[in-house]
Amino acid sequence: MGVLASPLDSLIWMLSRVPPDQPETTTAGGPVSHAQDLELVRRLEARDRKAIADFVANHADALYSYVRFRLAPRTESADDVVQDVFLAAWQKLGSYRGDSPLRAWLLGIARHKIEDVYRERLREPDPLPDDESASVSAAGEAVLDAEIDRRRLRERAATILSELPEPYSTVLLWRYWEHRSTADMAATTGRTEKAIERLLDRARKSFRSRWEHGWR
Amino acid sequence: MAGADALDLFLEELARSTDVVPINAPSRLKSRTYSALVRLAQRHGPLCTLDESKTLGGGLCVFEELVRITPAGEPPQRLNLCRVCHARILAEHFENAPIFWPNCPYVRFQNR
Repeated sequence: MGVLASPLDSLIWMLSRVPPDQPETTTAGGPVSHAQDLELVRRLEARDRKAIADFVANHADALYSYVRFRLAPRTESADDVVQDVFLAAWQKLGSYRGDSPLRAWLLGIARHKIEDVYRERLREPDPLPDDESASVSAAGEAVLDAEIDRRRLRERAATILSELPEPYSTVLLWRYWEHRSTADMAATTGRTEKAIERLLDRARKSFRSRWEHGWR
Repeated sequence: MAGADALDLFLEELARSTDVVPINAPSRLKSRTYSALVRLAQRHGPLCTLDESKTLGGGLCVFEELVRITPAGEPPQRLNLCRVCHARILAEHFENAPIFWPNCPYVRFQNR
């Protein structure tokens, strides 16, 4: 795993990870490996229509989930953004060097497209005065409030995770966001389960310390 | 120990409330995206032949297979055959369209 450069990169990294019990599907039905990513890109560059179908089938759901998540509660442009991401990705295939999983690369493009949407929204006319905007329902406001709270929590969690030493953030992401067992983490890292438990304990305390210190 | 349990619960709840909920992309979106990508690929050059697609591991639908075995040479094999297929039209306009051809890309995109 590379260094998590920013909270958003942490989230993108989280999203690009495949939980052990939910492997990414391919035409063969197995998890996608680095070699398969590179092979798919090679076939795309050869303009193989079947590779294009694999490209869409393998990554559209993850991209769509991410884009809707970032655009909520105004998700009406999600379809256009997802399609734009695929088209932009195809045109930039030459710049994909395989340093990261193909999905993480696509999510990076999605992030830029979403920023374009935000910029567009900021150019929209100012909101109506209060009395004219009273048509916004109480239920709508409640949904919006819940989404704002959720975003704040997410940003805070992502910020802290990106600030923690990498072993701490990795083990917390594995344990709580990917639901991996201690035994699985031990097998992946070559450590003992006891060592993973100790690492988790230190990581949790470090996370709590930062959470309590900065939560005002 | 109680503190450790509470911290564990807190992190579990935090992860639950901040995780991205996986959603299937609409099949229409996947279909339109695939069609747009094939058109884009064509603008950059000819598609690879059906023979090449098959060699690279892609399964061909019944119409593509027919074109592949027709002794008409290479040009027809490079055509975007989906462009004239009713499966594409159905899939681009109807969610989970009633299409069932084996190896048809638009069938793969259905969420059923």
